[in-house]
Amino acid sequence: MDWTTFIQLTVNGLTLGSVYALIALGYSMVYGILKLLNFAHGEVFMVGAFIGWGVLNLLGGAVDPRVPVWLLITLMTAAAMLGAGLLGVVIERFAYRPLRNAPRIAPLISALGVSFFLQNSVLILYGANFKTYDTFTLVDPFSGIQLGGVNVWIIRIVVFVSAIAMMLGLFALVRYSRLGKAMRATSFDREAASMMGIDVDKVIVKTFFIGSALAGAAGVLVGLVFGQINHFMGFNYGLKGFTAAVIGGIGSIPGAMFGGLFIGLAEAYSAGYISSVFQDLIVFSLLVVVLLVRPSGLFGRATIQKV
Amino acid sequence: MADGDPVDLPAPPDAQNRPRIGVDEWVGQVEDRREHGPRVRLVNAWNELHLAAKLAIFVGPAAFLPFVVSSDYWMQVAVITALYAVLAVGLNVAVGFAGLLDLGYVAFFGFGAYAYTWLASEHFDLHWDATYAIPTVVVASAALGFIVGLPSRRLVGDYLAIVTLFFLFIFNTLLLNADRINIPFKEGSINFTRGPNGISTVDPMSFFGLELRTLDHYFWLSLVTFAVVVGALYLLNESRTGRAWRALREDPLAAELMSMPVNRLKLLAFSIGAAAAGLTGSIFAAQNGSVFPVDFDLTLLISLYAFVILGGAGSILGVAIGAVTINVALELLRTPENASFVFYFLLLVAIVAILRRRAAAVLAGIVVLGFLLRLAAEGVKPSWTTGEDRGLTWVDRLVEDWVLLPTDIARIDDVAYIGLIAAVLALLQLRGFVRLAALVPVLYLAVFVWQNVLVIQPSVARYIMLGAMLVALMAARPQGLFGTPRVEIV
Amino acid sequence: MTPAILELRGLTKAFGGLTCVNALDLEVREREIVSIIGPNGAGKTTVFNVITGIFRPDGGDILLDGASIVGLEPHEITNRGVARTFQTLRLFLNMTVKENVMAAAYGHTKAGVLRSVLRTPGARREEREINRLAEERLSFFGQRLMGYRWNQPAYSLSYANRRRLEIARATATNPRILLLDEPAAGMNPSETHEITELIGQLREEGGYTILVIEHDMHVVEGISDRVVALDHGVKIAEGSFEAVATDEQVVEAYLGRREATTK
Repeated sequence: MDWTTFIQLTVNGLTLGSVYALIALGYSMVYGILKLLNFAHGEVFMVGAFIGWGVLNLLGGAVDPRVPVWLLITLMTAAAMLGAGLLGVVIERFAYRPLRNAPRIAPLISALGVSFFLQNSVLILYGANFKTYDTFTLVDPFSGIQLGGVNVWIIRIVVFVSAIAMMLGLFALVRYSRLGKAMRATSFDREAASMMGIDVDKVIVKTFFIGSALAGAAGVLVGLVFGQINHFMGFNYGLKGFTAAVIGGIGSIPGAMFGGLFIGLAEAYSAGYISSVFQDLIVFSLLVVVLLVRPSGLFGRATIQKV
Repeated sequence: MADGDPVDLPAPPDAQNRPRIGVDEWVGQVEDRREHGPRVRLVNAWNELHLAAKLAIFVGPAAFLPFVVSSDYWMQVAVITALYAVLAVGLNVAVGFAGLLDLGYVAFFGFGAYAYTWLASEHFDLHWDATYAIPTVVVASAALGFIVGLPSRRLVGDYLAIVTLFFLFIFNTLLLNADRINIPFKEGSINFTRGPNGISTVDPMSFFGLELRTLDHYFWLSLVTFAVVVGALYLLNESRTGRAWRALREDPLAAELMSMPVNRLKLLAFSIGAAAAGLTGSIFAAQNGSVFPVDFDLTLLISLYAFVILGGAGSILGVAIGAVTINVALELLRTPENASFVFYFLLLVAIVAILRRRAAAVLAGIVVLGFLLRLAAEGVKPSWTTGEDRGLTWVDRLVEDWVLLPTDIARIDDVAYIGLIAAVLALLQLRGFVRLAALVPVLYLAVFVWQNVLVIQPSVARYIMLGAMLVALMAARPQGLFGTPRVEIV
Repeated sequence: MTPAILELRGLTKAFGGLTCVNALDLEVREREIVSIIGPNGAGKTTVFNVITGIFRPDGGDILLDGASIVGLEPHEITNRGVARTFQTLRLFLNMTVKENVMAAAYGHTKAGVLRSVLRTPGARREEREINRLAEERLSFFGQRLMGYRWNQPAYSLSYANRRRLEIARATATNPRILLLDEPAAGMNPSETHEITELIGQLREEGGYTILVIEHDMHVVEGISDRVVALDHGVKIAEGSFEAVATDEQVVEAYLGRREATTK
């Protein structure tokens, strides 16, 4: 048993998985509250990555940053979270809210339209070439900790820890805060929640903001780990994050977290042990299998329809 | 007693909406809720026509296209448009008739294309006559549709959409990677799809030895296919099966309890839609002479859904019209030679259609604003008027002489673009005269952004416009142009 | 004794820890009208849901004309002859009145895809048949659902007419037994009176066997040959209306113990 490979793959899987989990949370939160599959979420992630890149360049770029590196990274992430959050709010306001009472297919099409719009807008403004975060210049690629013979780059640790921290923060918010209670109530029964004095529109807006902000953060984190971003990344990562959310049970927050890590590890192990060519295929097939066995996902709650 | 004497038929609501004894208010006001106006009258008149007449009106003039169009490029566009129209009508079976969200539909199209290719190309060195190849492909596609539809037994609505979407992704991944499949007991690997390079040696179609050689031939074949498929689906929809599909769309549980085998009907919808897609795929492969994975991706899926939704899911006519108009518009927008024409045409049509009498004032305002800004720029910051030519047509020349044309556009293109989006969204919040007045600078900004940023890459810009159009359409008219507003229990 | 069309033997259904129907025995004979009453939550609609195949029973058996229908798909059960209406209306709102009824004729018609597309004489004849059947079933309700109403979308109907349409739709399946779930719910007194007469007519003129769930005691009194009272899934009384209405356990179930003792 080759431990170094296993540890390397596990590290990769967890890093990637934590990012997928962040993206998955956005999908789950929005679905839980609106029963809407927000196909535009992946593009929000991508925009977050680009905002981070923009801030990076604004502050001098990787070669000659004007502020200390860790401050730079924090500012990039904060800006991306803010920008992505606002974008999510705008999307909700203009593309989804008018369709609250429309047939189910309408918000789906609208979401696809927004996704198309965002992806191609970024393409036309910034071109198809990869944009670099140049993380190797920013942070010494050899700095890190030793884990069983493998050198784990510090950025991967930072990404993993930040992602987990954000998820724990979200979990605490949903569990213990008033907003969290309002969110849970709204996702159970929107009408009843509004009759109990909860401002449902505001709760929805805040849900979108938080979910989108997490995706924006994920965008910056991905840029840092892989050093490169481009306009098409929203599609791939969005898809994986979506898969993670559905496998975990869409609407369930712990499910999204678990699903993300699960997908990340599955992808890493497939790429390492089977074939990197078929890693996507394996991940997608996993989804189909899980859904056929447990139609509401691993942690999902089956909705009971009263006849 | 309520509601009239048992002997006479209750009088139909007349045009005067007034409360009448024996007729409750809701019913009495039914005329109010009916849409009137020329479009509805036209649609009603159309609905009265016999199927054969409808097909003749739609397909007849189109048959003369090859004699009118001389360029190969546009003939190709015509063939593709006809094929996409068939595809859209096929998708309408699952989505519009039965109310199932089949997001994997494009995979059936791709399957049909590749399956035909395997049977009639150099790839496996099989050269079947189309008379045998096509039915084989159609049956195989129907079977695939059946298999993909099987999850619909346990999954509903969103989950079904998800699984079918992932089927599309799996299919696409397979197309890209199935060039090295290892089969047990065989030496070496089998190359099924030649990966991203595709297969470029597809035979032209031949029926009983008669070969289709020119684009014109394929166009007529596509038209015939369109007529046959649309006719068959129309007849099916007006029958017992169509009624059952509509009931299934309305309320699957009630349909099941009213003797309709819902699961079987869902599978039927999937299979028939897939068969239509497979048929279209084979013609596509033959006329193209080649198949590539990139032809069967998410972009096509979104376009197809745009056709179906724009036309109004459930209405065959609407879907066909949607397919033709959007596809042609997208083609026109592909190259700089035509893009600006289409853009300004659409813009003017939209302004006149929405504003009507006030359009003239708004247009005048924009023109004046443009001149003023230009004069100001020439005085204060000349670099804003000396940018190089961006568009290629006389329309572009004309507009670029009038609109601000910064030399160094790269520094502000994203600001202008985002500014435009923000301005449009803000505009939606305004009302009345303020909105009208604000429309002037916003439209100017739109022209500015088009002429400075978008016209340079029209093939990307068209997708931006498609996306925006979809969002706007859903917000304004979710039932599409030809659909009837549906009543849904939320 | 006329044979039982529908027979429930020891029918049991539980959801998680809650037993909604508990060892229920029930029989409905040909051309009988039996009413099921009971306070809300007594399990009445669950009984309907289990009979029609939406849920599988956890115990017991359901016999239609002597043969068990447990485990069959709902549409198969309907084809065998069980038709129902719903407590909360479930019409096909965007389809016309006539189409709603025609759709329900699916089970006893057979024109398949090929024959429909080719418009064979057989298919066309069947279509005319379905048309005629729908018009006939709708005519049962007088003129309310006739004439121009045929082509109006179902959502344009008034509430009472929607209930009538749902019954007409159920009869289009050519059922052996009709299950009506609160047919008089939400109706004003005159409409209630009408529905009471209508249910009687369904049996007298239509020859239907009917099992009704109802809350309105006027209706129950007016139509029932026999009344069955349920509470918490258990049958607590059965017999004529007078017998059941004054039964101590029934009164207690509806009104509480003190009222029962002061009777």
